[in-house]
Amino acid sequence: MSRRLAQVSLFGVALLIGLLLVGQLRSQARPRELSTLSPEELSTLIDTLSSRNQQLSAGLADLNEQLRSYRLGESQGDSTLTLQGEDLRRITAFAGLTAVEGQGVLVRVDGSLDAIAVNDLVNELRNASAEAIAVDDVRITARSVAVQGARALQIDGVEIGRSFTITAIGSPDGLFAALNRPGGIVAQLEQFVSATIEVEERKAADGGTLVVPATRVDLAPTVAMPIQ
Amino acid sequence: MRIAHAGTKRRLLSATHIRPQWALSLAAALTVVGFVAAAQWNGSLGRQEFTTSAQEVLSRQVSALEAEQKQLRAGIADAETKVQDFQTRAAGSQSARDAMQRQLDAARLAAALTAVHGPGVVIEIADSKRIVPPGDNPSNYIVLVDDLRDIVAALWASGAEAISINGERLAATTSIYGVGSSVLVNTAFLSPVFRIEAIGSDGLLERFQNNPAYLSRVSQRISSFGLEFATATADDLKLAAYVGNTAFKWGVPVEQKP
Repeated sequence: MSRRLAQVSLFGVALLIGLLLVGQLRSQARPRELSTLSPEELSTLIDTLSSRNQQLSAGLADLNEQLRSYRLGESQGDSTLTLQGEDLRRITAFAGLTAVEGQGVLVRVDGSLDAIAVNDLVNELRNASAEAIAVDDVRITARSVAVQGARALQIDGVEIGRSFTITAIGSPDGLFAALNRPGGIVAQLEQFVSATIEVEERKAADGGTLVVPATRVDLAPTVAMPIQ
Repeated sequence: MRIAHAGTKRRLLSATHIRPQWALSLAAALTVVGFVAAAQWNGSLGRQEFTTSAQEVLSRQVSALEAEQKQLRAGIADAETKVQDFQTRAAGSQSARDAMQRQLDAARLAAALTAVHGPGVVIEIADSKRIVPPGDNPSNYIVLVDDLRDIVAALWASGAEAISINGERLAATTSIYGVGSSVLVNTAFLSPVFRIEAIGSDGLLERFQNNPAYLSRVSQRISSFGLEFATATADDLKLAAYVGNTAFKWGVPVEQKP
């Protein structure tokens, strides 16, 4: 009888340990719920989401304007080839298939940046809403990444020297602030990498616009087929 | 009688030996229960404190912004479809219309604005299930934004033609950005498990696994900290189109001089 009682007690204790350990392991799994973020992280997230939503809103307004023009053209029996041409210019610019001119920043880099650092710089510019980016004369498309080649860094098969310039079109103030914020990408790279990084704003008011070239890479996929 | 006596004595002896063993085992087990229960209690207290006051208000704002974003993206996807409908039935000469449509289709495909399918690889990465040893940095055991960037860089460098992360198609303006331990891709706030799907030609997985961008950091973190990681090839993956703003505010397309 006492042995049975001991077995039941042990079973109960083992079950309790198991349940508690599972709970403990789950709490160690660090769920990425909003409730787990600090107020600073939540504030940054709110800023980022607000800015992204503004861009989406602007994009939606553009598309609705385009739709109104198509409807008007259709009701009047006009050719919509002009509108389609405008749409083509928008899409090819977005893809990197045409050159883009505008305000933005020039980032002059001199030093031994590795591929990760170059990709991080490009990612930071994208996050700051850069619309078109080139490293020297290489237009950055979705597929462009810096890789370590046999002799030097390469992007899209083109060698990038120790000194290079990144041209980014977008809000000059926004891009400048994103790169140069305290603890930001430039501060981090200058701390850990032997390089100097200068960021210069180019504004239309100062008579200086930038041109980002079209990509020289054929972006037509060979195995990725469109879903009709 | 003598035998019975000896037997009784043996039983008594064994009983006196067993009882302290049971007692010790039970005491040890209950001690473990106590420690684990205390840790659980502390953890749940922490979480309760975490979701109060300012953080709760901020979290609600984030959720509201995410809901707004969902509506905006749905609106963009709908408007894009309607624009394409107009373009396919546009007035004008048949040959000019066909030529324009071919150019638009090719541009949309290059810009990631078209859903695509094809052979490729699926990579999944998630936070480690290991218990963080005392004194160790907990962020070593979660998927960092750098891990995703390295995986994506290795895939592009290995010849991927289209990539998406948790359904977010990567385009020319896509950033993969970390806010604390959370990750933003395009405009979306993503959580693990991160599922990266890439379409590319035969051997994409092997090229990816041998690419320096994968080998230099993320593969070491996987083995050192036990990040959950799995790969598989797929005969026919389907990737959704990029949904977002494609109109430029600061730049205008220009004819490039030769």
